Amino acid sequence: MNTAQLLNGVALGSLLMVLSSGLAMIYGLRGVANFAHGALYMSGAYIAYSVSDRVSFWAALVVVPLALAVLGVVLELVFFRPLQHRSHIELGLITFGLALMAERIVVLIWGERTLRVTPPEFLQGTASFLGVDYPAYRLAIIVIALLIAAALVLWLRYTDVGLHIRASSQDIETAAIMGIDVDRVSLIVVAVGAALAGLAGALAAPYIALDPGMGNAYLITILIVVVVGGIGSIGGAMVAGMGLGIIQTVATVWSPSFAVIVPYLALTVVLLWRPTGLAGKRVS
Amino acid sequence: MTTTALPQDDVSPTRTQRPGRYGRGRTTLIGLAAAVGVLLAGLVVPYVVTDTYRMSIVLDATLLSLMAIGIGFLARHLGLISLGHGAFFGVAAFAVGVATTNWGWSPSAAVGFGVVAGTVVALLMGVLVVRASGFGFLMLTLALAQALYAINVQPSMREWTGAHDGKLLSYDRDLTFLGLTQADVMNPGLFWPFAWISLVVCATILWLVGRSRFGTTLEGIRENEERMRFSGYDTFLPRLAAFVLSGAVASLGGALFAINSGYVSPDILGFGKAGDGLIAVLLGGFTLLVGPILGTFLFVYAQANLNFGGNLHLFTGMALIVVLVFMPGGITIGAQKLYHRIRRGRR
Repeated sequence: MNTAQLLNGVALGSLLMVLSSGLAMIYGLRGVANFAHGALYMSGAYIAYSVSDRVSFWAALVVVPLALAVLGVVLELVFFRPLQHRSHIELGLITFGLALMAERIVVLIWGERTLRVTPPEFLQGTASFLGVDYPAYRLAIIVIALLIAAALVLWLRYTDVGLHIRASSQDIETAAIMGIDVDRVSLIVVAVGAALAGLAGALAAPYIALDPGMGNAYLITILIVVVVGGIGSIGGAMVAGMGLGIIQTVATVWSPSFAVIVPYLALTVVLLWRPTGLAGKRVS
Repeated sequence: MTTTALPQDDVSPTRTQRPGRYGRGRTTLIGLAAAVGVLLAGLVVPYVVTDTYRMSIVLDATLLSLMAIGIGFLARHLGLISLGHGAFFGVAAFAVGVATTNWGWSPSAAVGFGVVAGTVVALLMGVLVVRASGFGFLMLTLALAQALYAINVQPSMREWTGAHDGKLLSYDRDLTFLGLTQADVMNPGLFWPFAWISLVVCATILWLVGRSRFGTTLEGIRENEERMRFSGYDTFLPRLAAFVLSGAVASLGGALFAINSGYVSPDILGFGKAGDGLIAVLLGGFTLLVGPILGTFLFVYAQANLNFGGNLHLFTGMALIVVLVFMPGGITIGAQKLYHRIRRGRR
């Protein structure tokens, strides 16, 4: 294994980290496994394609999170809030229905063929890093994703809103009794979670090929990441996402046929060893 | 907070027995008589539906219903929502393919082998998953089924299951499935009695199990697992037994499906298939035994007729959302509520 392969793992891990932290936030607050998270990621990538085609890739990095945050607000106001007293599994399956619809809507708007996004010019070549020549765009993904993760952690740890989010994910009823406006907190969390998914999609767009199955391909992996990390734990999801990205990439180098079952194996082992996940505090 | 997905409404008198009017034994007898009646009535279907294409749709729905009543049984009695039953259906189907094509077994023996193989997988998976509940259970069943899918499409599996190409069943002309040659078995009208009898018998068995002492234990576990343990019940074995039973029923569906269609696609183990099965169950609703069957028939019918312009998933997703939002408990409970409202209105 060489440095380039390790960096590939870190790049995949960074994407998983950004994606799954949003999913974990929504799960922690609403208790809903958002099966539409893969669809949000896919929509982000497709919108990034359209924006970077017409304006520029940098504009896409700004527009996509905003657009997806609006989608998140819609998701919260139309589904999560009115149906919050239903069983969590039912709500999860509603998002599953949304994911099915999104997959088709994307085809209706952008067509079925595979699309490609070109990265900005100065990131197209390779850069020398740690003694290896490595694609500059992938380095940019790693840097941006790590910055986002750091910003998210600081936001959750040092702001009032972050405090309210952490309190509500711990116990939403007690948080409400203590005077936290949990509906407002939830709106913020779902909007930010959706925006992060969109941003991950936009970042991934030049790195992968866009096709309508890309959402589902990642959905199962990030659900696994969230469960492995400890349901509802954002830090756990970040660590598990990075870890899984690196392990899977390294395993692909050693044995491609073994690598495909790595996420499932990881999930089974972790849940048997620690039923609440790595950083698990509770299973509701 | 419980994550039991069962809507406990006041309008389910069919489930809560009224011992004052009918004895338990008498209701069982009435149920069995009804099952025999339904069984006999169903046998005339090939004479009513003469069109081969339509008949094949009805047959497909019947075989998929076996998987659906398995999923419904777990959901109804344990409150566990499974995304893994496609695995048992698929493993049984592939086992039939391997037994006939690679080993030259007779189709009858192969179907038996398929059911055993699917059930063994259910047992192995069950040991790993039944301790989980709610979302953990859903994820574990999904993940293990996905792992099987990923293993199945490996190039090294080509000799056995055909990897991405799927498995085409071939066996000697003189080998028959309970008297039917390969051409007969693939004729939906001639194969119908096997599928229909299997479905009615399995549904009846699940109904009887649900009403037995064992079924009551399961419901106790569903409502409060911890309290059942405190009351001195073992909660692991009943859950495992229920999981294996529902897996065995799904396996029977898969084995019959393989022998009837003569080809097993790798997609049968995939996420989409498992999702379809679950959606069908939820559309019908699993509070009543007939719910999953009704849902599957509706789903398969809609799939055959609404697939214009490739918009099938759009409609499926919409139907799922509409039913879950406006009709919790599925179509059967929706209809039941409507019926009770009308009756109350008349009085």
